[in-house]
Amino acid sequence: MTAVPTLLAIILASFFLMRLAPGGPFDGERPLPPETQAALQTAYGLDKPLWEQAWIYVSRLVQGDFGPSLVYRDFTVSELVAQGLPISLTLGGLAIILALLIGISAGLFAAVRAGKAADKTIMMIATVATALPTFVTGPALALFFGLWLDLLPVSGTGEGWSWLIMPVIALALPVSGAIAKLTRAGLATVLKQDHIRTARARGLPETKILFKHGLRPALVPVASYLGPAAAGLLTGAVVVETVFGLPGLGRYFVQGALNRDYPLVLGVVTLYAALIILFNLFADLIYGWLDPRMREG
Amino acid sequence: MKALLKRDHWPLWVVLSVMALALILPAILPWTYDQIDWDAVRAPAFSGSHIFGTDEIGRDRLARLAAGTQVTLMVAIAAALVSLVVGIAWGATAGWVGGKVDEAMMRFVDALYALPFMFIVILLMVIFGRSILLVFVGIGLVEWLTMARVVRGQVMALKQRPFILAAEAAGSPPLTIILKHILPNIAGVALAYLMLTVPQVVMVESFLSFLGLGVQEPLTSLGILVKEGADDMDMTPLGLLLPGGLLVLLLVCLTIEGERLRDTYS
Repeated sequence: MTAVPTLLAIILASFFLMRLAPGGPFDGERPLPPETQAALQTAYGLDKPLWEQAWIYVSRLVQGDFGPSLVYRDFTVSELVAQGLPISLTLGGLAIILALLIGISAGLFAAVRAGKAADKTIMMIATVATALPTFVTGPALALFFGLWLDLLPVSGTGEGWSWLIMPVIALALPVSGAIAKLTRAGLATVLKQDHIRTARARGLPETKILFKHGLRPALVPVASYLGPAAAGLLTGAVVVETVFGLPGLGRYFVQGALNRDYPLVLGVVTLYAALIILFNLFADLIYGWLDPRMREG
Repeated sequence: MKALLKRDHWPLWVVLSVMALALILPAILPWTYDQIDWDAVRAPAFSGSHIFGTDEIGRDRLARLAAGTQVTLMVAIAAALVSLVVGIAWGATAGWVGGKVDEAMMRFVDALYALPFMFIVILLMVIFGRSILLVFVGIGLVEWLTMARVVRGQVMALKQRPFILAAEAAGSPPLTIILKHILPNIAGVALAYLMLTVPQVVMVESFLSFLGLGVQEPLTSLGILVKEGADDMDMTPLGLLLPGGLLVLLLVCLTIEGERLRDTYS
Protein backbone atom coordinates (compact mmCIF):
# COMPACT_ATOMS: atom_id res chain seq x y z
CA MET A 1 0.00 0.00 0.00
CA THR A 2 2.99 2.26 -0.47
CA ALA A 3 1.94 2.85 -4.08
CA VAL A 4 0.11 6.17 -3.57
CA PRO A 5 2.75 7.95 -1.43
CA THR A 6 5.50 6.70 -3.79
CA LEU A 7 3.64 8.08 -6.78
CA LEU A 8 3.03 11.40 -5.01
CA ALA A 9 6.72 11.63 -4.05
CA ILE A 10 7.79 11.05 -7.66
CA ILE A 11 5.36 13.68 -8.96
CA LEU A 12 6.49 16.30 -6.43
CA ALA A 13 10.19 15.51 -6.91
CA SER A 14 9.88 15.89 -10.69
CA PHE A 15 7.79 19.04 -10.28
CA PHE A 16 10.38 20.86 -8.20
CA LEU A 17 13.37 19.46 -10.10
CA MET A 18 12.01 20.82 -13.33
CA ARG A 19 11.40 24.28 -11.91
CA LEU A 20 15.04 24.53 -10.85
CA ALA A 21 15.93 24.51 -14.52
CA PRO A 22 17.11 27.71 -16.15
CA GLY A 23 15.06 28.76 -19.17
CA GLY A 24 11.33 28.60 -19.59
CA PRO A 25 8.75 27.31 -22.04
CA PHE A 26 8.26 30.71 -23.68
CA ASP A 27 11.89 31.27 -24.70
CA GLY A 28 11.62 31.28 -28.46
CA GLU A 29 14.01 32.31 -31.20
CA ARG A 30 13.15 35.94 -30.52
CA PRO A 31 12.63 37.04 -26.89
CA LEU A 32 9.01 38.02 -26.23
CA PRO A 33 8.28 41.51 -24.89
CA PRO A 34 8.20 41.47 -21.06
CA GLU A 35 4.45 42.32 -20.95
CA THR A 36 3.63 39.29 -23.13
CA GLN A 37 5.90 37.11 -20.99
CA ALA A 38 4.10 38.28 -17.87
CA ALA A 39 0.68 37.76 -19.42
CA LEU A 40 1.58 34.22 -20.48
CA GLN A 41 2.98 33.50 -17.00
CA THR A 42 -0.28 34.67 -15.42
CA ALA A 43 -2.44 32.80 -17.91
CA TYR A 44 -0.72 29.50 -17.10
CA GLY A 45 -0.49 30.24 -13.36
CA LEU A 46 3.32 30.26 -13.42
CA ASP A 47 3.48 33.51 -11.40
CA LYS A 48 2.04 31.96 -8.25
CA PRO A 49 4.34 30.64 -5.49
CA LEU A 50 5.80 27.22 -6.32
CA TRP A 51 4.07 25.39 -3.48
CA GLU A 52 0.72 26.75 -4.59
CA GLN A 53 1.41 25.66 -8.17
CA ALA A 54 2.34 22.17 -6.96
CA TRP A 55 -0.87 21.98 -4.90
CA ILE A 56 -2.99 23.13 -7.85
CA TYR A 57 -1.26 20.64 -10.13
CA VAL A 58 -1.78 17.66 -7.84
CA SER A 59 -5.40 18.53 -7.03
CA ARG A 60 -6.20 18.77 -10.75
CA LEU A 61 -4.30 15.57 -11.44
CA VAL A 62 -6.48 13.67 -8.97
CA GLN A 63 -9.44 14.66 -11.15
CA GLY A 64 -7.65 13.33 -14.23
CA ASP A 65 -6.68 16.78 -15.57
CA PHE A 66 -3.03 16.93 -16.64
CA GLY A 67 -3.28 20.61 -17.58
CA PRO A 68 -2.52 22.31 -20.90
CA SER A 69 0.62 21.70 -22.95
CA LEU A 70 2.76 24.84 -23.03
CA VAL A 71 4.39 24.13 -26.37
CA TYR A 72 1.74 22.24 -28.34
CA ARG A 73 -0.63 25.15 -27.66
CA ASP A 74 -3.75 23.63 -29.21
CA PHE A 75 -3.61 20.45 -27.16
CA THR A 76 -4.05 19.53 -23.52
CA VAL A 77 -1.54 17.10 -22.05
CA SER A 78 -4.37 14.59 -21.62
CA GLU A 79 -5.01 14.68 -25.37
CA LEU A 80 -1.32 14.20 -26.24
CA VAL A 81 -0.98 11.41 -23.70
CA ALA A 82 -4.16 9.74 -24.95
CA GLN A 83 -2.59 9.62 -28.42
CA GLY A 84 0.78 8.33 -27.22
CA LEU A 85 -0.21 5.86 -24.53
CA PRO A 86 -1.81 3.18 -26.76
CA ILE A 87 1.29 3.10 -28.98
CA SER A 88 3.69 2.79 -26.05
CA LEU A 89 1.50 0.21 -24.32
CA THR A 90 1.23 -1.91 -27.48
CA LEU A 91 5.01 -1.78 -27.96
CA GLY A 92 5.78 -2.60 -24.33
CA GLY A 93 3.08 -5.24 -23.96
CA LEU A 94 4.03 -7.13 -27.12
CA ALA A 95 7.72 -6.88 -26.21
CA ILE A 96 7.24 -8.40 -22.76
CA ILE A 97 5.07 -11.21 -24.13
CA LEU A 98 7.66 -11.98 -26.81
CA ALA A 99 10.50 -11.81 -24.26
CA LEU A 100 8.67 -14.20 -21.90
CA LEU A 101 7.97 -16.66 -24.73
CA ILE A 102 11.54 -16.68 -26.06
CA GLY A 103 13.22 -16.41 -22.66
CA ILE A 104 11.29 -19.15 -20.88
CA SER A 105 11.51 -21.64 -23.75
CA ALA A 106 15.24 -20.99 -24.26
CA GLY A 107 15.89 -21.30 -20.51
CA LEU A 108 13.85 -24.50 -20.33
CA PHE A 109 15.64 -25.99 -23.30
CA ALA A 110 19.06 -25.13 -21.81
CA ALA A 111 18.18 -26.50 -18.36
CA VAL A 112 17.07 -29.85 -19.79
CA ARG A 113 20.43 -30.15 -21.53
CA ALA A 114 22.41 -28.81 -18.57
CA GLY A 115 26.16 -28.99 -19.07
CA LYS A 116 25.91 -29.97 -22.74
CA ALA A 117 26.99 -27.87 -25.72
CA ALA A 118 23.42 -26.69 -26.43
CA ASP A 119 23.14 -25.35 -22.88
CA LYS A 120 26.40 -23.43 -23.12
CA THR A 121 25.56 -22.02 -26.55
CA ILE A 122 22.12 -20.83 -25.45
CA MET A 123 23.50 -19.23 -22.30
CA MET A 124 26.21 -17.47 -24.31
CA ILE A 125 23.60 -16.13 -26.74
CA ALA A 126 21.49 -15.02 -23.77
CA THR A 127 24.44 -13.11 -22.28
CA VAL A 128 25.08 -11.39 -25.60
CA ALA A 129 21.37 -10.55 -25.91
CA THR A 130 21.29 -8.86 -22.49
CA ALA A 131 24.13 -6.61 -23.61
CA LEU A 132 22.37 -5.40 -26.78
CA PRO A 133 21.27 -1.78 -26.35
CA THR A 134 18.04 -0.88 -28.15
CA PHE A 135 19.63 2.23 -29.67
CA VAL A 136 22.07 -0.01 -31.57
CA THR A 137 19.76 -2.93 -32.43
CA GLY A 138 16.96 -0.56 -33.48
CA PRO A 139 18.89 1.32 -36.19
CA ALA A 140 20.76 -1.88 -37.19
CA LEU A 141 17.47 -3.73 -37.75
CA ALA A 142 16.12 -0.75 -39.69
CA LEU A 143 19.26 -0.78 -41.83
CA PHE A 144 19.12 -4.51 -42.65
CA PHE A 145 15.40 -5.22 -42.96
CA GLY A 146 14.23 -1.75 -43.88
CA LEU A 147 16.82 -0.18 -46.15
CA TRP A 148 18.74 -3.14 -47.57
CA LEU A 149 16.14 -5.91 -47.80
CA ASP A 150 13.22 -3.47 -48.03
CA LEU A 151 10.94 -5.86 -46.13
CA LEU A 152 9.67 -3.68 -43.29
CA PRO A 153 8.83 0.01 -42.89
CA VAL A 154 11.68 2.07 -41.43
CA SER A 155 9.62 4.76 -39.78
CA GLY A 156 6.09 5.71 -38.80
CA THR A 157 3.08 3.57 -38.02
CA GLY A 158 1.74 3.09 -41.55
CA GLU A 159 -1.03 0.60 -42.26
CA GLY A 160 -1.22 -2.97 -40.97
CA TRP A 161 0.97 -4.38 -38.22
CA SER A 162 4.33 -4.67 -39.95
CA TRP A 163 5.60 -1.42 -38.35
CA LEU A 164 5.51 -3.12 -34.96
CA ILE A 165 7.87 -5.98 -35.83
CA MET A 166 11.27 -4.29 -35.62
CA PRO A 167 10.59 -2.01 -32.61
CA VAL A 168 9.18 -4.94 -30.62
CA ILE A 169 12.14 -7.20 -31.47
CA ALA A 170 14.66 -4.50 -30.55
CA LEU A 171 12.85 -3.97 -27.22
CA ALA A 172 12.39 -7.66 -26.42
CA LEU A 173 15.93 -8.93 -27.14
CA PRO A 174 17.74 -7.83 -23.95
CA VAL A 175 14.78 -8.74 -21.74
CA SER A 176 14.47 -12.22 -23.28
CA GLY A 177 18.17 -12.86 -22.63
CA ALA A 178 17.77 -11.98 -18.96
CA ILE A 179 14.61 -14.12 -18.66
CA ALA A 180 16.36 -17.10 -20.29
CA LYS A 181 19.18 -16.89 -17.74
CA LEU A 182 16.81 -16.57 -14.79
CA THR A 183 14.68 -19.51 -15.98
CA ARG A 184 17.75 -21.68 -16.53
CA ALA A 185 19.18 -20.84 -13.08
CA GLY A 186 15.80 -21.30 -11.37
CA LEU A 187 15.22 -24.70 -12.98
CA ALA A 188 18.73 -25.87 -12.13
CA THR A 189 18.02 -25.27 -8.42
CA VAL A 190 14.49 -26.66 -8.45
CA LEU A 191 15.39 -29.86 -10.32
CA LYS A 192 17.77 -30.81 -7.49
CA GLN A 193 15.07 -30.59 -4.83
CA ASP A 194 13.42 -33.43 -2.95
CA HIS A 195 9.96 -33.15 -4.49
CA ILE A 196 11.44 -33.60 -7.97
CA ARG A 197 13.37 -36.67 -6.82
CA THR A 198 10.15 -38.04 -5.34
CA ALA A 199 8.34 -37.39 -8.62
CA ARG A 200 11.11 -39.16 -10.54
CA ALA A 201 11.00 -42.07 -8.08
CA ARG A 202 7.27 -42.39 -8.66
CA GLY A 203 8.10 -42.88 -12.31
CA LEU A 204 6.33 -39.78 -13.67
CA PRO A 205 7.15 -38.91 -17.26
CA GLU A 206 9.97 -36.35 -17.52
CA THR A 207 7.83 -33.76 -19.34
CA LYS A 208 5.22 -33.87 -16.58
CA ILE A 209 7.93 -33.45 -13.92
CA LEU A 210 9.36 -30.51 -15.81
CA PHE A 211 6.16 -28.62 -16.58
CA LYS A 212 4.02 -29.54 -13.60
CA HIS A 213 6.54 -29.67 -10.72
CA GLY A 214 9.64 -27.93 -11.99
CA LEU A 215 8.73 -24.89 -14.02
CA ARG A 216 6.33 -23.16 -11.64
CA PRO A 217 8.70 -22.71 -8.68
CA ALA A 218 11.56 -22.07 -11.11
CA LEU A 219 9.76 -19.01 -12.50
CA VAL A 220 9.75 -17.15 -9.16
CA PRO A 221 12.99 -15.26 -9.99
CA VAL A 222 11.50 -14.39 -13.39
CA ALA A 223 8.46 -12.86 -11.68
CA SER A 224 10.62 -10.71 -9.42
CA TYR A 225 12.51 -9.51 -12.49
CA LEU A 226 9.30 -8.30 -14.17
CA GLY A 227 9.26 -5.00 -12.24
CA PRO A 228 12.76 -3.88 -13.32
CA ALA A 229 12.03 -5.30 -16.78
CA ALA A 230 9.01 -3.02 -17.12
CA ALA A 231 11.12 0.00 -16.18
CA GLY A 232 13.73 -1.10 -18.74
CA LEU A 233 11.11 -1.54 -21.44
CA LEU A 234 9.69 1.94 -20.87
CA THR A 235 13.18 3.44 -21.13
CA GLY A 236 13.87 1.37 -24.22
CA ALA A 237 10.57 2.53 -25.68
CA VAL A 238 11.84 6.13 -25.57
CA VAL A 239 14.71 5.13 -27.87
CA VAL A 240 12.67 2.87 -30.11
CA GLU A 241 9.99 5.52 -30.58
CA THR A 242 12.69 8.05 -31.49
CA VAL A 243 14.49 5.66 -33.86
CA PHE A 244 11.37 4.46 -35.67
CA GLY A 245 9.54 7.78 -35.57
CA LEU A 246 6.56 6.49 -33.58
CA PRO A 247 4.36 9.07 -31.83
CA GLY A 248 4.37 7.35 -28.42
CA LEU A 249 4.80 8.69 -24.89
CA GLY A 250 8.59 8.53 -25.03
CA ARG A 251 8.80 10.99 -27.89
CA TYR A 252 6.61 13.48 -26.04
CA PHE A 253 8.83 13.04 -22.99
CA VAL A 254 12.03 13.87 -24.87
CA GLN A 255 10.43 16.73 -26.81
CA GLY A 256 8.82 18.09 -23.67
CA ALA A 257 12.04 17.94 -21.66
CA LEU A 258 13.97 19.78 -24.36
CA ASN A 259 11.26 22.45 -24.75
CA ARG A 260 10.61 22.95 -21.02
CA ASP A 261 7.01 21.93 -21.52
CA TYR A 262 6.49 21.39 -17.76
CA PRO A 263 2.98 19.90 -17.76
CA LEU A 264 3.78 17.53 -20.64
CA VAL A 265 6.94 16.15 -19.00
CA LEU A 266 5.21 15.87 -15.62
CA GLY A 267 2.26 14.11 -17.19
CA VAL A 268 4.46 11.55 -18.94
CA VAL A 269 6.63 10.95 -15.83
CA THR A 270 3.47 10.50 -13.73
CA LEU A 271 2.08 7.97 -16.19
CA TYR A 272 5.38 6.10 -16.43
CA ALA A 273 5.68 5.94 -12.65
CA ALA A 274 2.06 4.77 -12.32
CA LEU A 275 2.64 2.09 -14.97
CA ILE A 276 5.77 0.79 -13.26
CA ILE A 277 4.10 0.75 -9.85
CA LEU A 278 1.07 -1.06 -11.32
CA PHE A 279 3.35 -3.56 -12.97
CA ASN A 280 5.19 -4.21 -9.71
CA LEU A 281 1.86 -4.91 -7.98
CA PHE A 282 0.94 -7.27 -10.81
CA ALA A 283 4.34 -9.01 -10.47
CA ASP A 284 3.64 -9.48 -6.74
CA LEU A 285 0.36 -11.22 -7.61
CA ILE A 286 2.14 -13.56 -10.03
CA TYR A 287 4.73 -14.16 -7.34
CA GLY A 288 2.08 -15.36 -4.91
CA TRP A 289 0.51 -17.58 -7.55
CA LEU A 290 3.85 -19.18 -8.44
CA ASP A 291 4.98 -19.72 -4.88
CA PRO A 292 2.11 -20.16 -2.38
CA ARG A 293 4.53 -19.72 0.55
CA MET A 294 4.75 -16.03 -0.37
CA ARG A 295 1.03 -15.41 0.12
CA GLU A 296 1.19 -15.16 3.92
CA GLY A 297 3.64 -12.29 4.36
CA MET B 1 47.67 -10.74 -11.43
CA LYS B 2 48.67 -14.22 -12.55
CA ALA B 3 45.03 -15.33 -12.35
CA LEU B 4 44.10 -12.65 -14.89
CA LEU B 5 46.39 -14.20 -17.50
CA LYS B 6 44.23 -17.34 -17.69
CA ARG B 7 42.28 -18.02 -20.86
CA ASP B 8 38.97 -17.51 -19.04
CA HIS B 9 39.67 -13.82 -18.81
CA TRP B 10 39.77 -13.13 -22.55
CA PRO B 11 36.86 -10.63 -22.32
CA LEU B 12 38.87 -8.47 -19.96
CA TRP B 13 41.80 -8.53 -22.36
CA VAL B 14 39.58 -7.55 -25.27
CA VAL B 15 38.38 -4.53 -23.29
CA LEU B 16 41.91 -3.61 -22.22
CA SER B 17 43.16 -3.88 -25.81
CA VAL B 18 40.35 -1.65 -27.08
CA MET B 19 41.18 0.81 -24.31
CA ALA B 20 44.89 0.78 -25.21
CA LEU B 21 44.11 1.28 -28.91
CA ALA B 22 41.79 4.17 -28.08
CA LEU B 23 44.58 5.83 -26.13
CA ILE B 24 47.37 5.21 -28.65
CA LEU B 25 45.59 5.79 -31.97
CA PRO B 26 44.96 9.55 -31.62
CA ALA B 27 48.73 10.04 -31.25
CA ILE B 28 49.54 8.11 -34.45
CA LEU B 29 46.71 9.05 -36.80
CA PRO B 30 47.25 11.92 -39.23
CA TRP B 31 43.75 13.30 -38.41
CA THR B 32 42.23 14.48 -35.15
CA TYR B 33 38.66 13.53 -34.29
CA ASP B 34 37.21 16.99 -34.98
CA GLN B 35 39.32 17.89 -38.01
CA ILE B 36 37.42 18.24 -41.28
CA ASP B 37 38.91 16.92 -44.50
CA TRP B 38 37.09 19.05 -47.10
CA ASP B 39 38.35 16.90 -49.96
CA ALA B 40 36.94 13.67 -48.57
CA VAL B 41 33.35 13.91 -47.37
CA ARG B 42 31.74 10.48 -46.82
CA ALA B 43 34.89 8.82 -48.14
CA PRO B 44 34.65 5.01 -48.27
CA ALA B 45 36.96 2.84 -46.17
CA PHE B 46 40.66 2.63 -47.09
CA SER B 47 40.61 5.84 -49.13
CA GLY B 48 43.89 7.69 -48.72
CA SER B 49 44.83 8.21 -45.09
CA HIS B 50 41.30 7.44 -43.82
CA ILE B 51 41.33 3.77 -42.86
CA PHE B 52 37.59 3.58 -42.08
CA GLY B 53 36.68 6.50 -44.36
CA THR B 54 35.10 9.76 -43.20
CA ASP B 55 31.69 10.79 -41.89
CA GLU B 56 29.05 13.06 -43.43
CA ILE B 57 31.10 16.20 -42.84
CA GLY B 58 34.51 14.72 -43.62
CA ARG B 59 35.87 13.78 -40.22
CA ASP B 60 38.09 10.69 -39.94
CA ARG B 61 36.01 7.77 -38.63
CA LEU B 62 38.83 5.91 -36.90
CA ALA B 63 39.98 9.03 -35.06
CA ARG B 64 36.39 9.68 -33.94
CA LEU B 65 35.98 6.07 -32.83
CA ALA B 66 39.13 6.30 -30.71
CA ALA B 67 38.07 9.61 -29.15
CA GLY B 68 34.53 8.35 -28.52
CA THR B 69 35.76 5.14 -26.91
CA GLN B 70 38.05 7.14 -24.63
CA VAL B 71 35.20 9.33 -23.41
CA THR B 72 32.75 6.45 -23.04
CA LEU B 73 35.16 4.30 -21.03
CA MET B 74 36.36 7.23 -18.93
CA VAL B 75 32.80 8.19 -18.01
CA ALA B 76 32.03 4.53 -17.31
CA ILE B 77 34.97 4.02 -14.97
CA ALA B 78 34.41 7.29 -13.14
CA ALA B 79 30.68 6.64 -12.71
CA ALA B 80 31.27 3.06 -11.61
CA LEU B 81 33.67 4.36 -8.94
CA VAL B 82 31.04 6.85 -7.72
CA SER B 83 28.57 3.96 -7.45
CA LEU B 84 31.20 1.88 -5.64
CA VAL B 85 31.84 4.54 -3.01
CA VAL B 86 28.17 5.38 -2.44
CA GLY B 87 27.13 1.71 -2.51
CA ILE B 88 29.79 0.58 -0.02
CA ALA B 89 29.15 3.49 2.34
CA TRP B 90 25.38 2.92 2.31
CA GLY B 91 25.49 -0.89 2.40
CA ALA B 92 28.20 -1.13 5.06
CA THR B 93 26.41 1.36 7.33
CA ALA B 94 23.08 -0.46 6.99
CA GLY B 95 24.63 -3.88 7.50
CA TRP B 96 26.79 -2.82 10.42
CA VAL B 97 24.25 -0.77 12.39
CA GLY B 98 21.38 -3.19 11.67
CA GLY B 99 17.94 -2.97 13.28
CA LYS B 100 15.59 -0.10 12.44
CA VAL B 101 18.27 1.94 10.68
CA ASP B 102 19.07 -0.99 8.40
CA GLU B 103 15.41 -1.56 7.68
CA ALA B 104 14.81 2.11 6.82
CA MET B 105 17.94 2.33 4.65
CA MET B 106 17.11 -0.80 2.68
CA ARG B 107 13.46 0.22 2.29
CA PHE B 108 14.79 3.38 0.67
CA VAL B 109 16.89 1.29 -1.73
CA ASP B 110 13.87 -0.90 -2.54
CA ALA B 111 11.78 2.19 -3.26
CA LEU B 112 14.44 3.63 -5.57
CA TYR B 113 14.69 0.31 -7.42
CA ALA B 114 11.06 0.63 -8.44
CA LEU B 115 11.45 4.17 -9.80
CA PRO B 116 11.66 5.07 -13.47
CA PHE B 117 15.13 6.32 -12.75
CA MET B 118 16.22 6.97 -16.25
CA PHE B 119 13.61 9.71 -16.45
CA ILE B 120 14.92 11.44 -13.36
CA VAL B 121 18.43 11.35 -14.87
CA ILE B 122 17.08 12.80 -18.10
CA LEU B 123 15.41 15.59 -16.13
CA LEU B 124 18.69 16.24 -14.28
CA MET B 125 20.55 16.48 -17.58
CA VAL B 126 18.05 18.93 -18.99
CA ILE B 127 18.08 21.05 -15.86
CA PHE B 128 21.73 21.31 -14.96
CA GLY B 129 23.13 21.49 -18.46
CA ARG B 130 25.12 18.66 -19.91
CA SER B 131 28.53 18.83 -18.31
CA ILE B 132 30.51 15.61 -18.51
CA LEU B 133 31.00 15.75 -14.73
CA LEU B 134 27.29 15.70 -14.15
CA VAL B 135 26.85 12.85 -16.59
CA PHE B 136 28.92 10.49 -14.51
CA VAL B 137 27.85 11.77 -11.11
CA GLY B 138 24.24 11.37 -12.20
CA ILE B 139 24.78 7.88 -13.56
CA GLY B 140 26.90 6.83 -10.58
CA LEU B 141 24.21 7.96 -8.17
CA VAL B 142 21.67 5.82 -9.99
CA GLU B 143 23.74 2.67 -10.27
CA TRP B 144 24.78 2.22 -6.61
CA LEU B 145 21.66 0.34 -5.50
CA THR B 146 22.78 -3.21 -6.32
CA MET B 147 26.20 -2.53 -4.79
CA ALA B 148 24.56 -1.36 -1.56
CA ARG B 149 22.43 -4.51 -1.35
CA VAL B 150 25.34 -6.84 -1.97
CA VAL B 151 27.68 -5.06 0.46
CA ARG B 152 25.01 -5.04 3.17
CA GLY B 153 24.52 -8.80 2.85
CA GLN B 154 28.25 -9.40 3.07
CA VAL B 155 28.68 -7.13 6.09
CA MET B 156 25.76 -8.80 7.90
CA ALA B 157 27.38 -12.20 7.39
CA LEU B 158 30.85 -11.01 8.42
CA LYS B 159 29.58 -9.27 11.54
CA GLN B 160 28.93 -12.62 13.23
CA ARG B 161 32.38 -14.01 12.51
CA PRO B 162 34.72 -14.56 15.51
CA PHE B 163 37.50 -12.27 14.27
CA ILE B 164 35.12 -9.33 14.07
CA LEU B 165 33.66 -10.10 17.48
CA ALA B 166 37.23 -10.31 18.80
CA ALA B 167 38.10 -6.92 17.33
CA GLU B 168 34.99 -5.48 18.95
CA ALA B 169 35.82 -7.06 22.28
CA ALA B 170 39.32 -5.60 22.04
CA GLY B 171 37.73 -2.17 21.85
CA SER B 172 38.36 -1.17 18.22
CA PRO B 173 36.06 1.65 17.13
CA PRO B 174 33.45 0.64 14.50
CA LEU B 175 35.01 2.69 11.71
CA THR B 176 38.37 0.98 12.22
CA ILE B 177 36.71 -2.44 12.17
CA ILE B 178 34.84 -1.64 8.97
CA LEU B 179 37.89 -0.20 7.22
CA LYS B 180 40.49 -2.68 8.46
CA HIS B 181 38.63 -5.95 8.86
CA ILE B 182 35.44 -5.82 6.81
CA LEU B 183 36.35 -3.95 3.64
CA PRO B 184 39.31 -6.21 2.73
CA ASN B 185 36.97 -9.19 3.03
CA ILE B 186 34.32 -7.80 0.72
CA ALA B 187 36.79 -6.43 -1.83
CA GLY B 188 36.41 -9.43 -4.16
CA VAL B 189 32.62 -9.32 -4.32
CA ALA B 190 32.66 -5.54 -4.61
CA LEU B 191 35.11 -5.80 -7.51
CA ALA B 192 32.86 -8.32 -9.27
CA TYR B 193 29.84 -6.04 -8.97
CA LEU B 194 31.94 -3.03 -9.97
CA MET B 195 32.77 -4.96 -13.12
CA LEU B 196 29.05 -5.58 -13.72
CA THR B 197 28.26 -1.91 -13.10
CA VAL B 198 30.61 -0.72 -15.84
CA PRO B 199 28.52 -2.07 -18.77
CA GLN B 200 25.37 -0.70 -17.11
CA VAL B 201 26.96 2.72 -16.97
CA VAL B 202 28.21 2.48 -20.56
CA MET B 203 24.65 1.66 -21.57
CA VAL B 204 23.17 4.64 -19.67
CA GLU B 205 25.80 7.09 -20.93
CA SER B 206 25.36 6.01 -24.54
CA PHE B 207 21.59 6.12 -24.15
CA LEU B 208 21.77 9.72 -22.87
CA SER B 209 24.22 10.71 -25.60
CA PHE B 210 22.00 9.05 -28.19
CA LEU B 211 19.12 11.27 -27.09
CA GLY B 212 21.43 14.27 -27.27
CA LEU B 213 21.47 14.71 -23.50
CA GLY B 214 24.85 13.24 -22.58
CA VAL B 215 28.31 14.30 -23.61
CA GLN B 216 28.26 17.44 -25.77
CA GLU B 217 30.12 18.48 -28.90
CA PRO B 218 32.98 18.94 -29.57
CA LEU B 219 33.51 15.94 -27.25
CA THR B 220 32.21 12.72 -28.67
CA SER B 221 31.25 9.32 -27.27
CA LEU B 222 30.19 5.99 -28.71
CA GLY B 223 26.55 6.89 -28.07
CA ILE B 224 26.90 10.11 -30.10
CA LEU B 225 28.67 8.22 -32.89
CA VAL B 226 25.86 5.65 -33.00
CA LYS B 227 23.35 8.49 -33.19
CA GLU B 228 25.25 10.24 -36.00
CA GLY B 229 25.61 6.92 -37.80
CA ALA B 230 21.90 6.14 -37.45
CA ASP B 231 20.98 9.54 -38.87
CA ASP B 232 23.18 8.99 -41.92
CA MET B 233 22.84 5.23 -42.35
CA ASP B 234 21.12 5.34 -45.73
CA MET B 235 24.22 7.07 -47.16
CA THR B 236 27.07 5.44 -45.21
CA PRO B 237 26.06 2.36 -43.20
CA LEU B 238 29.63 2.05 -41.89
CA GLY B 239 28.96 5.09 -39.69
CA LEU B 240 26.37 3.08 -37.74
CA LEU B 241 27.94 -0.37 -37.92
CA LEU B 242 31.42 0.58 -36.65
CA PRO B 243 30.53 2.40 -33.40
CA GLY B 244 27.50 0.16 -32.85
CA GLY B 245 29.61 -2.97 -33.25
CA LEU B 246 32.37 -1.65 -31.00
CA LEU B 247 29.86 -0.65 -28.34
CA VAL B 248 28.20 -4.08 -28.40
CA LEU B 249 31.64 -5.78 -28.26
CA LEU B 250 32.60 -3.77 -25.17
CA LEU B 251 29.25 -4.35 -23.48
CA VAL B 252 29.31 -8.11 -24.16
CA CYS B 253 32.91 -8.53 -22.94
CA LEU B 254 32.35 -6.46 -19.80
CA THR B 255 29.17 -8.40 -18.99
CA ILE B 256 30.79 -11.83 -19.48
CA GLU B 257 33.81 -10.84 -17.39
CA GLY B 258 31.65 -9.38 -14.62
CA GLU B 259 29.43 -12.46 -14.46
CA ARG B 260 32.46 -14.75 -14.27
CA LEU B 261 33.95 -12.71 -11.43
CA ARG B 262 30.61 -12.73 -9.62
CA ASP B 263 30.29 -16.50 -9.95
CA THR B 264 33.82 -16.91 -8.59
CA TYR B 265 33.15 -14.84 -5.49
CA SER B 266 29.64 -15.91 -4.55
